[in-house]
Amino acid sequence: MRLILALAFAAGPAFSGVPEAVNDHILPMTARFSEAAENLSTAAKTDCTANALQDDFQAAFDAWMGVSYLRIGPVEQDGRALAIQFWPDTRGLVPRTVARLIADKDAAAQSTKQFADVSIAGRGFAALERVLFEPKFSDYTPDSYTCKLAQVMSADLAQMAAAIDQDWSDEYAQTVTSAGDAGNATFLTKSEAAQALYTALTTGIEFTADQRLGRPLGTFDRPRPTRAEAYRSGRSLRNVILSLESLHGFAQVLADGPTPQIDAGFDMALQTARDLDDPVFAGVEDPQGRLQVEILQQKIKALLPAIANEVGVPLGVSAGFNATDGD
Amino acid sequence: MIARRAFLGSLLAAAGTPRLSWADVGSPAWLGAARDADGFYVLLGLARDGAERFRIALPTRGHAAAAHPTAPEAVAFARRPGTFALVVNCLTGEVTHRLQSPEGRHFYGHGAFIANGDILCTTENEIETGAGRIGLWSRKRGYARIGEIASHGTGPHEILSTAGDVLVVANGGIRTHPDQGREKLNIPEMRPSLAYIAPDGALLEEVVLDPELHMNSIRHLAQAPDGTVGFAMQWQGESSDPVPLLGLHERGKEPRLLSADLGEQLAMQGYAGSVAFSRDGTDIAITSPRGGRVHRFDVATGAVQSLARADVCGIAAGPDGMVATDGLGGLLRLGARPEPIARFEGLSWDNHLIAL
Repeated sequence: MRLILALAFAAGPAFSGVPEAVNDHILPMTARFSEAAENLSTAAKTDCTANALQDDFQAAFDAWMGVSYLRIGPVEQDGRALAIQFWPDTRGLVPRTVARLIADKDAAAQSTKQFADVSIAGRGFAALERVLFEPKFSDYTPDSYTCKLAQVMSADLAQMAAAIDQDWSDEYAQTVTSAGDAGNATFLTKSEAAQALYTALTTGIEFTADQRLGRPLGTFDRPRPTRAEAYRSGRSLRNVILSLESLHGFAQVLADGPTPQIDAGFDMALQTARDLDDPVFAGVEDPQGRLQVEILQQKIKALLPAIANEVGVPLGVSAGFNATDGD
Repeated sequence: MIARRAFLGSLLAAAGTPRLSWADVGSPAWLGAARDADGFYVLLGLARDGAERFRIALPTRGHAAAAHPTAPEAVAFARRPGTFALVVNCLTGEVTHRLQSPEGRHFYGHGAFIANGDILCTTENEIETGAGRIGLWSRKRGYARIGEIASHGTGPHEILSTAGDVLVVANGGIRTHPDQGREKLNIPEMRPSLAYIAPDGALLEEVVLDPELHMNSIRHLAQAPDGTVGFAMQWQGESSDPVPLLGLHERGKEPRLLSADLGEQLAMQGYAGSVAFSRDGTDIAITSPRGGRVHRFDVATGAVQSLARADVCGIAAGPDGMVATDGLGGLLRLGARPEPIARFEGLSWDNHLIAL
C-alpha cells in the first residue's frame, strides 16, 4: 500500500504509455486483423465452400481477438464490434437471422453494400460460423445461395476490418495521442485518453472472465456448455488464450514501466488455460471439469488488482465512477 | 468569498426578512453532486456557461436529488440505502436541516417538492414489508416529518411533482433490505410501475409494462412542458438482451417505448442512468455510463441519435440545449456530438444533474 501511494504521488497522472500502446500495440493489431479478414474474403471469392474457408475463418477470428477488446472509437463506431462478432447472443438472434436469410434467399447477399444493411445478428463471425460449421448449412454447393452468402459475409468482414484499421491509422491514433490539445473534443485531457485505454484493458479482462468463461459455467446446478463462445468452430478456449495474450501485450505497453505482478499473473492464467484439455468447455457439466474452468476464471479475475497497481496507479486512472456504481 | 460575505452583510442590513431566491446564488442553471480530487464530496451550482456559482462540501457522497422550486435550497440524499438527507443552504453553504428516515425506513435517494415548495416528498422503503412509501416533510416546520403515503409499489426511486401536485413515482420493483446492501431480493417476481399519486395518497393511475418486460426496473423520470412523462429503465436480465430502456407516457394512454437499432441498443448494456427532456419537450435523452452513450430521441418521430462519451450519466435541459456530465469532470453540450462546455479537473460527477 505504501508503495502504491508513493508511486501515485511521485508520478501523478502520466501519459507516457499511451502513445506506445497506440503505435506498438493497437495499430499493428488492427493491421493484422485487416489483413487476415482480407485473406478470408479473397479466399471466398475463389472458393466459397465451407471446407475451403474454414482455415481462413479461423485465422481471421484469431486476429480479431487482438482487436475485439478495443471498444473505443473505430471499433465502436457504427456498431462495428457487434457486427463483427454478435456475441453473447442471449436471444438466439443469430441462428434465426441466418436461417431466414437462407430460407428467403435474401437479395441482400447480392452486394457487400446491401449486406451492410442486414441486421448485425446476420453478419460477422457468429453468422459465418453457422454457415461454415453447422452441419445443416455447411454442405452447400459452390453455386448455392449459401455459398454466395458466405462470400458476402466474408467481404463484409473484410470491409469492416479495413475501415477499423484505416480509421485508427488515419485519424483515431492522432485523436488519442493528441488528447488534451486545443480542438480535441473527444479527449479533453491526456488523462481521459489514458482512462479510455485503461478501461478497454480492464473491460477486456472482465469480459473474458465473466462472459467467455462465465456463460458456459452458468450455475453449479445448471452449467451451460452450449453458451460457450464459438464452440461450433472449436474456438472457445482458443479465444480465451488469444485474448489473454493480446491483453498482456497491451497492459505491458500501456504500463510504461516494469510489470512484474502483471507478467506473473498472465503467465499463470495462460499456463492454466493451455493446460486445460477442454477446447469448448464441454467439461463444465462434470464437477472436476467445472472446477478447472473456475480456477482459470479466478486466475483471470486476479489480474485486475495487478493491472490497477501497475497500469492504473501510474497513469492516475481507475474504473469509471458511474459505470461501476449503479443507482 | 469576499463578495459573498459583503453580499450577506448587505442582506442582513436590509429591513425585513430576506426572501432568498436562486438569483441570490448567481442563478445557476444546474445543480450537481460530485467527488473531488481529494476524495471529498461536494455540491456545485453551475451557470449556463459552465462557470461555478458555488461549491459546498457534503459530509458524504450524495445525490443532488431535489432542488427547492424558489429558494436556493437543495436536498442531498445519502447514497441508498441511506437513512439521512441534508438540506443545504446554497448561499451560505450550511447544512440547515438533517432529515433522518423514521425507524424501519430508509431513503431511496430522490425527492420532490409540492405545495409551492412547502412539502418535501421522499421515496422510502418500509424495510420489514418491502412496501414503497413516500415520506412527507414540512419545510415551514423545519423539515419535520408530517406523514407518509403509499408509493403503490416496491422500491420507489425517482419522484416528480406534476400539475396539481400530483406525484409521479417510478416504482423500480426491486426489493432490497439494508442488511443485504443493494442485493436484489425479488428479481423473479419484480413488478415495476409508474404511479400517479394524489397528495392524499390516492392512486390516480398506474402504468405497468407487458409481462415480458417485468424485469425492466423503472427508475428515473423526466417531465415535458405538456405533461408527458419520460421514464428510464434498468434491465435486470442479461445486459446483452436488446430491450427498450426508455418510455413515454401521457395520462390515460398506453406507454410508448423507444429503442435504437439493435447494435446501439445493445451498446447501452441494459442500463439507463438518467433521463431528461429538452426544454421545449421535443427531444428526450437517456444516458448509459456503462455503455458510454447518450441516446437522444425525437419525441415525435422516435428517431434516435447516439453520442459517445465515457462514463456519462448526468443529463439535464438547459437554456442552450441539453447538457450531460460524466465521471471525468466534463460538462458537455449535446450538439451533433458532445461539445465540452467546461471540465472540472479532478471532479467525478455523480449520477444526476438537476436543472433549475
